[in-house]
Amino acid sequence: MAYSLEAREPAPRITLPALFATFLQISLIGFGGPIVWARRFLVERQRWLDDQEFAEILSLGQFLPGPNVICMTVCVGSKFRGPAGALAAVAGFILIPWTVGFALGALFLHYTQIAAMQNIMRGVSAVGAGLIIATGIRLLRPQIRSKAAMLFAGAAFAGLAFAKLPLLPLVLVLVPLSIAAANYERRIVG
Amino acid sequence: MNVPGASPALVAHLIVLSMISFGGIPAMLPNLRDYIVTGNGWITDQDFANCFAVVQAIPGPNMILMMSFIGWKIGGLPVAIAGAFATFVPPCAISFVVFRWWERFRKAEWQGLVRRGLTPVTIGLVIAGGYAMAQASDVGWASVAVTIAAAGFLLLTRINPLWMLGAGAVLGGLGLV
Repeated sequence: MAYSLEAREPAPRITLPALFATFLQISLIGFGGPIVWARRFLVERQRWLDDQEFAEILSLGQFLPGPNVICMTVCVGSKFRGPAGALAAVAGFILIPWTVGFALGALFLHYTQIAAMQNIMRGVSAVGAGLIIATGIRLLRPQIRSKAAMLFAGAAFAGLAFAKLPLLPLVLVLVPLSIAAANYERRIVG
Repeated sequence: MNVPGASPALVAHLIVLSMISFGGIPAMLPNLRDYIVTGNGWITDQDFANCFAVVQAIPGPNMILMMSFIGWKIGGLPVAIAGAFATFVPPCAISFVVFRWWERFRKAEWQGLVRRGLTPVTIGLVIAGGYAMAQASDVGWASVAVTIAAAGFLLLTRINPLWMLGAGAVLGGLGLV
């Protein structure tokens, strides 16, 4: 099921302009959490990745510096079209969105009441929080039949959200345990 | 403000920060603020806070833009551009090298196990990130209701999330959230 990537029929070739355009959109619309838009475009619209693959690439980002979505941009570009794909995806993610954002931001810094904007952003980030939580729940769906997976997803959530443990030690403790549990579960269940 | 030597020092600092920014750039902001505002006095605390507020309200890669605005305040457009490169080039290069290595062992049995164990932890952290964001914006039941409604709409309907974000902006602007 989840790991039958090789068995899937070959996807139509993903072009460099398609990579550029897709990451351009993810970046430009990316209000309220880029991960929400990355999943929407890569999994739902383009169907370049399924939820499992998306979550796997996201996982790799936990161990890499920089914004997770930048890591995802590089990895997806590179996965489908090698170095040129990575460059096209990163260029799409940065060139135009940076220019637009920089121009808009410069105007805002000069002319806007920052306090009014903070009110607006409070509303936006309350929505953004809900979108991120829902995206996480979507990603959890392929895992739902594995007790070990649900247990460790719950532990990671509780450790960060409730116990407020620092991220890196939390990951370094949970990941080896989770790998061991997944291995054990697979041997038992077969 | 133009302090001699400030621009190269800022760019060098950003390169180092971006290379060690495990857990994302926001985790590095307190360090950056200490360096720029408290340590060197290149910009004021208010400027720093304004840059942060502004990048959240505009589209685009917001942490990269934040570094650009700080660079802009310190040394104009060239430093804004240098700040952007310092923020994204090192993580991109590291990601590229690591991903290539990771893909080489895609079919290895150990990697299947690692992926199986790693993925649930990541998903738990994503949901916790949303939860933390809800708390940061929290001022009571109204904002909790907005968060729950947004999650429900995304899971149960096909409404474009942009509409939800727009509704959130309006509610926030009216002071209702």
